[in-house]
Amino acid sequence: MNKKVISAILCGSMVLASVSPVFASDEGMTIALVGKSAGNAFFEVSAESFVAAAEAEGATVDVVYPEAATADAQIRVLDNLISQQPDAICIAANDVNALQAKLTEAMDAGIKVSSFDSAPNKDSRQVFINQTSVDLVAQALMDAVLDITGGEGQWAILSATSQAANQNAWIDAMKALMESDEKYSALELVEVAYGDDEPQKSTDQTAALLQKYPDLKVICAPTTVGIAAAAKYLQDNGSTCKLTGLGLPSEMLEYTGDDDAHSCPYFYLWDQQGLGELSAYATMALVNGDITGAEGETFTAGDLGEYTITAADDGGTEIVLGDPLEFNPENIEEMAELY
Amino acid sequence: MEKKSVLKKITGSREALLAVILILLFVIVTIISPSFLTPKSIMDMLKNNAVTMVMALGMLCVMLVGGIDISIMSTLALSGMSIGMLWKYEHISNTFLTFVIALAIGTVCGFLVGLVISRADVPPIIATMGFMYIYRAMGYLVSNNGEWASAAALGTFKDFATSSFLGINNVVWVIIICYVIFFFFMKWTRLGRKIYAVGSNADAAQVSGINVKNIKLMVYTVMGFLGGLGGALQVSVYASAMPDMQQGGEMDVIAACVIGGVSMSGGRGTVIGALLGSLILATIARALPLVPFFDQLWLNTIKGVIILVVVMVNVVLQRIADRNALKRREM
Amino acid sequence: MAGKSGRSINNVPESSVKRIIFSWEGILVLLFIAVNIFCAFFSEYYNLSSLLRQMPVYVAEVFLMIPMAYILILGEIDISVGSIVCLSSTMACIVCNTNAPFILVVLTALVVGTICGFINGFILTRFQELPPMIVTLATQIIFRGIAEIVLGSGGSISASNTEGFLLIGGKVGQIPYILFLVLILLIIFAVILGKGTFGRRVYAIGTNRLTAYYSGIHVQKIRLLIYTAMGTFSGLCALFLLSTSYGANTTTGNGYEMDAIAMAVFGGILSTGGKGNLAGGAISAFIIVCLRVGLGQRNIHPQVILLILGVLLIGAVALPNIIKQVQRSVKK
Repeated sequence: MNKKVISAILCGSMVLASVSPVFASDEGMTIALVGKSAGNAFFEVSAESFVAAAEAEGATVDVVYPEAATADAQIRVLDNLISQQPDAICIAANDVNALQAKLTEAMDAGIKVSSFDSAPNKDSRQVFINQTSVDLVAQALMDAVLDITGGEGQWAILSATSQAANQNAWIDAMKALMESDEKYSALELVEVAYGDDEPQKSTDQTAALLQKYPDLKVICAPTTVGIAAAAKYLQDNGSTCKLTGLGLPSEMLEYTGDDDAHSCPYFYLWDQQGLGELSAYATMALVNGDITGAEGETFTAGDLGEYTITAADDGGTEIVLGDPLEFNPENIEEMAELY
Repeated sequence: MEKKSVLKKITGSREALLAVILILLFVIVTIISPSFLTPKSIMDMLKNNAVTMVMALGMLCVMLVGGIDISIMSTLALSGMSIGMLWKYEHISNTFLTFVIALAIGTVCGFLVGLVISRADVPPIIATMGFMYIYRAMGYLVSNNGEWASAAALGTFKDFATSSFLGINNVVWVIIICYVIFFFFMKWTRLGRKIYAVGSNADAAQVSGINVKNIKLMVYTVMGFLGGLGGALQVSVYASAMPDMQQGGEMDVIAACVIGGVSMSGGRGTVIGALLGSLILATIARALPLVPFFDQLWLNTIKGVIILVVVMVNVVLQRIADRNALKRREM
Repeated sequence: MAGKSGRSINNVPESSVKRIIFSWEGILVLLFIAVNIFCAFFSEYYNLSSLLRQMPVYVAEVFLMIPMAYILILGEIDISVGSIVCLSSTMACIVCNTNAPFILVVLTALVVGTICGFINGFILTRFQELPPMIVTLATQIIFRGIAEIVLGSGGSISASNTEGFLLIGGKVGQIPYILFLVLILLIIFAVILGKGTFGRRVYAIGTNRLTAYYSGIHVQKIRLLIYTAMGTFSGLCALFLLSTSYGANTTTGNGYEMDAIAMAVFGGILSTGGKGNLAGGAISAFIIVCLRVGLGQRNIHPQVILLILGVLLIGAVALPNIIKQVQRSVKK
């Protein structure tokens, strides 16, 4: 009887095995791209262009997902990768600190480590490919808030979790900007709320903001799930409060427009496809020895042109992709087709 | 004398106690933020908690027969993601049909769970834990490994959650209809009473001619049906379908039932209890952001403490009620 | 019958050799061998040294499985353990960053875990009517919530002094210390459960709490002790996790309770109480570890791995029951 049990399980596993991707171990360069979690449309856009750019250069890319959006799960993935010995690992880190042990172990084993989207700390990477600098995001968002409020009034921030590193950096930079520049003096940031990147909680938080501050003019949501949930709530309720922030064009298509029927006049994101492409070129340059990740080095990233490695705020090095992109009623239809 | 009997009634019934807690919550929140108690605010709250509220009914049935189901949010993700992808690739464009498909997927999911539990005697927590992984994985597979169906892709389906009938939002109507049906079903139909009978004493129910296995199969199928409904509501209300939606949300549903006085060992619990339990949770979630003197970092801790306090207060009050009842009997 | 696995494939056969092979544990051993053969064929990287190198992260969860087995045998459940792991690793990191001697870091992790476990046990024994699931659900939210408050807006902390963690993450040859420790603890607690008076009492409570109470067993004392131990072991798990990460964050330990429960259940410990033993739990834990490592090395999609685990979990419980039913109906 037990043989049947075992053979059934084995057969099942083998069927699954046959459909799984095979890590080619022949002479070409192998790169492992590690995502934050499975099922994230946001990451898939970059992953697709990453794979395309790397394969065009003859490299093999395996996109690997952790079981959950946690550092614990990424540690297991990294353990697997160290066994496989790819030439390079490019990772979007779920936590700044917790990957240090495994990433240094990988580097000690001769694997090049780059990161993109969100960085592990400076000791755990050779270079970080930054979608856009913190200051540029803060500047763009502050100017949007200033523009939409008409120069004065109350505004609020709806963020992801209170621990999200990227969001916190942007929010802090926005606050600093408000202090430093006189033109923002008539703006009043009433609250930073956290929707935990869940539609339900983001909706509750948006509703609470409107109830607490009836004169609220703008909500700035620098997170994709948050901005979509807030946009829906504001639009469904025909609120006079407007929205801006960072979002995916395809998610925001319904809510973007200049008139009162739409809740979001315009919003920002970086070039998510370019990010994948640049990361691929930077990672390949690391493997080829064109760069080592030291400040001041330059390399050519295909059609994107030449990039220079600069110092990052955390003491490590980074490559900045460029300015944030603005999505407005004119270009949103076109961009929503892409991502 | 009159007064005493009212007091007796209140301390004697779990539901009345919960209602008192809920009213207290309402009063406190309204004092802090007067705009909380407006019809629109309440409607918003109901709409935003429709998924939990509707699924609490299924969980009530499951818990009444002494079971538990932690696979429900995976069922929700599978059915929600399926209809999301069908809309995105323009295979369907009819709201009614969408609901039928979501409900069908949910029902099949629930039926399978029920089969494994009732026919293969697998403990509910284990079976549903397995299905939690399985259905969630299927949801990912359906999503084409991580595609989202966004508002633009959902066409007219998302209008369901924004339009009203007789001045009340459609989603709220769904909640009302579900609760009314279940209220009558659990209280006055033979099948409903059989569920209680199985939960109170399965052996006795078996001896008295109730097919316990079929009742168990039925409650999990009903749970799956409501999971499918939850999936459709989730996608419609938030105008977006993602494969990881509502991950971990099953605990909210279970908490709503337990706060509502549903016993985890089966046999005890009412539709009104489930309603009050889920309303209390909904009020907490809605009210916490309104309370100005807490740092946002504290929200989760406070939520946990409130759940703990509510269930403990419930136990203490129940003990007092039992003691009083005993005293009366002695007299 | 205490200590007998919650499932059996066949009606008890006559000879003792047959009894061993047909017991659930026997099947698990065969399955363990099969999984290893399968993984070796499936993944070109799967060998003893890669397995030993990758093992510590998974084995840390086996620490949780040990007391979880006791709790499941009581017929109860504790879903707060992942959050306890989170809170104790956070506190341990904080103490570590004050340049305290490493022994203090170890103590902090264990003491914080123990306190959390004691709180669970205290509430559950004072309010006996409350189902463990709902109490530990609330404390799950609370313990992680406290860690969130402590971690503040960064949500993450790194241990600046890694020497101590390097030490406990060390190896004898290729075998990591953690494997020795887990095996020793497994043996000790399996013996206590299977042979000791304490173990018999645990089974008695799990089989029928009321009868156990009337036969003079201190039901509440034993429950309190086991829940507290659950906390201590979570602290231990946190400590070894830190040796693989040097840092803690708000998602540390997320979902570990389910992994621990799955290991125990797959090993024949029924969640309904009174049945199962730690030998089964131990073998099943290592089956799951090997399978995850083997499949993971070929970058199988994590959702597919979870799907396989889900099928295994249900199959492991359902198949024996179905086979028994079929046999019964054939005999009739």
